[in-house]
Amino acid sequence: MTKTILAVDDSASIRQMVSFTLKGAGYEVIEAVDGQDALDKARQRAFNLVLTDINMPRMDGLMLLESLRKISQYQAVPILMLTTESTDEMKAKGRLAGATGWLVKPFNPGSLVEVIKKVIK
Amino acid sequence: MVDDQNEHRRSDLCVPDNSLTELGDCVYSDESDEFFLNIKNDLNQVDRLVSDAVNNLVINFKFISQLTKSHHEMVMAIEKLAVPDQSEPILELLRRQMMIADKIEHELEEAITSLQFGDLVTQLLAHTSNQLDVFIRVLQRIDGHNKSLPAEEKCLMDVGQGISKAMRIARSRTKEKPVVQQAMHNGEIELF
Repeated sequence: MTKTILAVDDSASIRQMVSFTLKGAGYEVIEAVDGQDALDKARQRAFNLVLTDINMPRMDGLMLLESLRKISQYQAVPILMLTTESTDEMKAKGRLAGATGWLVKPFNPGSLVEVIKKVIK
Repeated sequence: MVDDQNEHRRSDLCVPDNSLTELGDCVYSDESDEFFLNIKNDLNQVDRLVSDAVNNLVINFKFISQLTKSHHEMVMAIEKLAVPDQSEPILELLRRQMMIADKIEHELEEAITSLQFGDLVTQLLAHTSNQLDVFIRVLQRIDGHNKSLPAEEKCLMDVGQGISKAMRIARSRTKEKPVVQQAMHNGEIELF
């Protein structure tokens, strides 16, 4: 069965690149434009993995992460942060909030697919 | 002694009220408002141009990738047809075609990494624009306060100090720069 990934980023070009890369690797990809949009979509259906940016309007990626972890359905779902932020402080915040991993932009398509294969169930 | 010198400098900078009027009598004016607005417009224009170019490039590369896949499939189909004849020159040409297709795919992956510069640029511009917004707001507030002062207390030095103070506050109230990357290398990956 095809695994479904929720790709969250306020940048249309990043969403396109993530979507293009992951669809090419055989995943179904649903896009969300910010944390709030992602949370609404995550409540409507189940995803096998969430890949989210941090700096976004309305709801940022860390808040989305915290909100998703409060939903029982998403307690064990891998949530990867894909961001330009790379300070130890930010990574610690992500880890504390329940992130599965931290990917610093720019991403390499091959490496992104490799990591997703490793963590997706 | 140092205090005397400072006092002297301060009295040099404290100019009569009419000079301040010539300077506009404030740290924030319609002219500065227009100046800052132009800077913000320039930043927005850069962002729009970069975003537009990146979006178009992503579409172009996506199309190239789809064409490459079709080409790849076509080469494999031709290879199947050529195998019964065992025509070595044809098989060699097809092998080269496959090598070219693989190289194009690799280059496309590299292009996707580089194309993410658009997102980095947008975030940096938003950060700069935000700093400017905070700076303008603080200047307006300081200006409002200065205008309420009696004329004899107005001083050119206060204008300079007001601007410095606005810069300091703008720096402290703006979030840290969200982009530290200095080049388009692949970012690190860490699994927790």
